[in-house]
Amino acid sequence: MNTKTSIDHDRRRRRALLVFQILIYGYLFGAWALQLYMYAHRDW
Amino acid sequence: MSTASFELDVPSAYDDHQSASREAQRKADRWMLPGAILMTTAVLGPIGFPLFLKGMAEQRKALLQGLAVRPMICTLLGYLVIMDSGLNSIGWSLDLIAHHSLISRTLVTAWGNMFDSGYFWHYNELWIGGATAPGEKGWEIALVPTVFCMRLAAAIGFLQMKRWGHQWLIVTCWFGVIYWVGYVANMTVFADLRYAHVVFPVWGWWLYDIFYITPFLAIPYLHTVNREIFSD
Repeated sequence: MNTKTSIDHDRRRRRALLVFQILIYGYLFGAWALQLYMYAHRDW
Repeated sequence: MSTASFELDVPSAYDDHQSASREAQRKADRWMLPGAILMTTAVLGPIGFPLFLKGMAEQRKALLQGLAVRPMICTLLGYLVIMDSGLNSIGWSLDLIAHHSLISRTLVTAWGNMFDSGYFWHYNELWIGGATAPGEKGWEIALVPTVFCMRLAAAIGFLQMKRWGHQWLIVTCWFGVIYWVGYVANMTVFADLRYAHVVFPVWGWWLYDIFYITPFLAIPYLHTVNREIFSD
């Protein structure tokens, strides 16, 4: 694998990890926000 | 210095450095490992924490002395994973097979009363005993013998800087993503049961459990680290 391909590969890998983190933390934040919404509207 | 003595001295200096590095790593681990194991019991955590910190100080001292010890990020990740898998294994095993023990009936139900009613509501009233939250027993049976055992083994290999440890830590971290997504979905779907009449609804559970988030923290590092630092 030449240097240019290797750098591209590395860049794509980092971008994929960034997208993964946005999705997974977004999911957690969404679930937390939904639970807080329920907490505000229900008689817990 | 003659050529002959130079040739004799170089391997000796290298061997001395290697041997001093190994000894320093062993010394740090002798503090950190018991500390981490004590912390996995939850109850003995306050005893384990200072032991772990002492080990960290030893490790840092060795790094500052220029010894070839494990990188600090690997040490932290490895021990965090040991604690994550240990805490989950012990807590859920107690709930699954020792739910009538005094420690379960006090510690687990007290925790349930504070953060998660799934561990308080009708506790010990199902045929299998322990927590009655919908789906909880399925998680315990599926995850303790598979994911958490694998994760513990992987963390040990990772701390030994073995290639298989790195690879299996990646595998079990992705398992971690699956169980976090599923478990949080469960907490949300059955929120009316799990958060009703607890002392700290919603934010209490999140504050307590967010420290189990080690898979998400480890994945970016594990996929970008230079794999050559791990050996066969």
